[in-house]
Amino acid sequence: MKKTLLLWAIFAGLMCLLPLFTSTGTLRIFIFANFLAIFAMSWDILSGYTGYISFGHPFLIGIAGYTTAMLTHHMETPLFLSIPLAVIVTMIAGSLFFFPALRTRGTYFALVTLAFMEVTYGLMQVVKPSLTGGTRGLSGLPLLVTGAIPNYYLSFFAMLLIAIGLWALTRSGLGTALSAIRMDEDAVKSAGLSTSKLKLFAFMISALVAGIGGALYTHYLGSISPRNMFDINFLFTILIAALIGGEQSIVGPILGAYFLTFLLEYLRPYIPGAWRYLLYGVIALIVYYYAPKGLYNIFQAGANRFGEKIRRNGQYGQTT
Amino acid sequence: MAKLLDVQSFTKKFGGLFAVYDLSFHVDEGESLGLIGPNGSGKTTTFNMIMRELKQDEGEIFFEGKEISKYSTHERVKMGISRTYQIPRPFREMSVTKNIRIGIMPDEIMRIIAMNSQSDTERKIGKSVGFKEHALAMYPRELSMGDLRRLELARALATNPKLLLLDEVFAGLTVGEISELSELLKEKRKEGLTFIIVSHDLKTLAPLVDRVVVVNFGQMIADGSFEDVIANKKVKEAYLGK
Amino acid sequence: MGGIIIQGFLLSGLYALIAVGFTMIFSVGRVLNLAYGVYIMIGGYAYYVLAQVLALPKIPSFLGAVLAGVAFGILTYLVLVRRLEDNPIAVEISTLILAVVMQAVIILIFSPAPRSMWPLIPGVIHLFGVTISKNIFLAMIVSWIVLGALLVFVHKTQLGRAIRAVSMDTKGSLISGIDPSKINIVTWALSGALGAIAGVFFATYTQLDPHMWVFPLITAVAVVIVGGIGSIMGSLVAAHIVGFLETITTGVIAPELRGVFTLLLIIVILIIVPKGLLGKEEI
Repeated sequence: MKKTLLLWAIFAGLMCLLPLFTSTGTLRIFIFANFLAIFAMSWDILSGYTGYISFGHPFLIGIAGYTTAMLTHHMETPLFLSIPLAVIVTMIAGSLFFFPALRTRGTYFALVTLAFMEVTYGLMQVVKPSLTGGTRGLSGLPLLVTGAIPNYYLSFFAMLLIAIGLWALTRSGLGTALSAIRMDEDAVKSAGLSTSKLKLFAFMISALVAGIGGALYTHYLGSISPRNMFDINFLFTILIAALIGGEQSIVGPILGAYFLTFLLEYLRPYIPGAWRYLLYGVIALIVYYYAPKGLYNIFQAGANRFGEKIRRNGQYGQTT
Repeated sequence: MAKLLDVQSFTKKFGGLFAVYDLSFHVDEGESLGLIGPNGSGKTTTFNMIMRELKQDEGEIFFEGKEISKYSTHERVKMGISRTYQIPRPFREMSVTKNIRIGIMPDEIMRIIAMNSQSDTERKIGKSVGFKEHALAMYPRELSMGDLRRLELARALATNPKLLLLDEVFAGLTVGEISELSELLKEKRKEGLTFIIVSHDLKTLAPLVDRVVVVNFGQMIADGSFEDVIANKKVKEAYLGK
Repeated sequence: MGGIIIQGFLLSGLYALIAVGFTMIFSVGRVLNLAYGVYIMIGGYAYYVLAQVLALPKIPSFLGAVLAGVAFGILTYLVLVRRLEDNPIAVEISTLILAVVMQAVIILIFSPAPRSMWPLIPGVIHLFGVTISKNIFLAMIVSWIVLGALLVFVHKTQLGRAIRAVSMDTKGSLISGIDPSKINIVTWALSGALGAIAGVFFATYTQLDPHMWVFPLITAVAVVIVGGIGSIMGSLVAAHIVGFLETITTGVIAPELRGVFTLLLIIVILIIVPKGLLGKEEI
């Protein structure tokens, strides 16, 4: 426990010093990675743990983004109000729509959530363009802070706080209970736990994080559009970040988000637009095929084996 | 002696077939009831209905005098009924202690989050079913069938049941494992736990039960002491054919 | 209005076909194939390439499209699913990734812009005083024929009965000596074929579009949830409900809102009747 806190502190410390060494351009990449990490963690706490694969997280993120965008754009609501409101709206809207979806078993849940995302995409383009900005969306939104460095710290600390919060939550009995649902939901019920309650709680936390991320992200970009939020490629990116990084570990999605963001940036000059998603997809398939547990778990397994070797060597050293 | 569980006229149909038909029986507090019958006679279906993993088509079920048909599985577990499965269902990617922890967990989110590691309670339960210290950290894939059944039992006991349903808990065990498990159940019986035991192994079952109910084709054909039931003509026909 | 009602009826056949192709995999393999929508997309694009670009005659083009679907169905199984079979969540995710990859491939080959396809049979007929495109009428007829043939196959042939056996009880059928691998290949091939057939008509009715694989999935899940699992009658009834809903939405209200009322219907059913209208088990 203490060791992990120390690791987090070192990580935080290093990341704080980052702006001294990097250009604004690189910082902006990190900012994106931080937001992606938030979205990936939000996905992981629900889907990674309970096994109810959600294809609708962009829906949650987008609702948050649009709420705060519309409030600030049309009603000039101050940010310290619009952002919390957006998060609340996300959690309510999410529960109203997703909770019936949770009544399906994990398998159909995925498709129902996909339906939500798709339908919202269509709706946002067509319904009340005066409010939502239609296909183009809304721009010229107020920013929380201006400049790469302040935004970097904002995004980083948001991510860090969320990460620590989720990490503490999942290290508790809650993490065990949620992962048990994924392994055998009926057995959890016959151990006397209400899986509906557990799933709803996981979902609310997931929606909360997604809402915060969505609202903050929108006020970093200063604009929002249906293509930005509800496109399947956005879903895809979040999913891959969480999966490659390692499900059921809060650190995994962070790793995955950073890895993916930098991979994309590195490949960008070499790969023309249309090929990009093909490549991500193929890489994702390969990684998932051979290492479904993700990078984090590979590191962990490696670290465990390494630790064992040291222990064993120590033992042998003592007997001889 | 108060009736702990009272099942009345349970009926369950699958397609055109009655798995259970007009089945009624009861278990008194502290009693140990054997539920036997040939393969496919409806024993596991009955357990499933008691635990609400299946809903009975007709019939009522009383626990501690209260009709509980409307309560879901986890609610019935909270009331005090727990079961093991014919084919063990451990949580595959969790150690023995973590498996038991799920059984211990209260059904309240805040309390689950606040739960300490609980290692002591888990270990105690684990050892009480016969796990050695080093085995507690093992994973289901490393366990023998005997140990898996022990794990099922531990997890069921962790929920603090008043009534424990054991479904073919001796199947697939070695002679040594059977005798160990038997001793364990005898101890729990002494502690006052109420049982319904389903088993094909009549020899092992005999010393563990006060009374036996025999079912065939989903219907009860005998209810009495072990000796009486074994001598019953209908029972002999059911097992051996006319 | 009459035209819309008739059109809704006609479309329901197609929707039923889409739903059946999708649920086959689920009942037999117990896995969710999110790449199913891709079979529909491939069916559409394959027919387009064969019949419009290469100007081959219609029937060989149609068969070519079906073959493409079959091939892709089998490939999905062999490459992805077989290895991940005991992990249904992994199958869900990897089939989704595959679908996105295929979307990217289609974009690369054909460009992201939607394309219109010529109808299989141009022209209109007059039915009950209403004008209907012959193409949609053909879609309905073909759908029902295929569904009928499927029913016969599944009930009267050895192979078909084996498939039913596996869908009812995997372990029992293993004991009876049925080879699960062969059954799976056949089922996935069938699913691919059904999807491709539906895809050809679906594409002519709407448009070819690299994104078109999503909507059929939503339709299929709507039909299953509304109709209920384990009930063919339920699927047929639900296909009609969804079909009418869709047609009315796109015809009378606004084409962009397609899917909205379907989604609302899904939610309502899930809240009020989670087993579906005629379902036998909870999903």
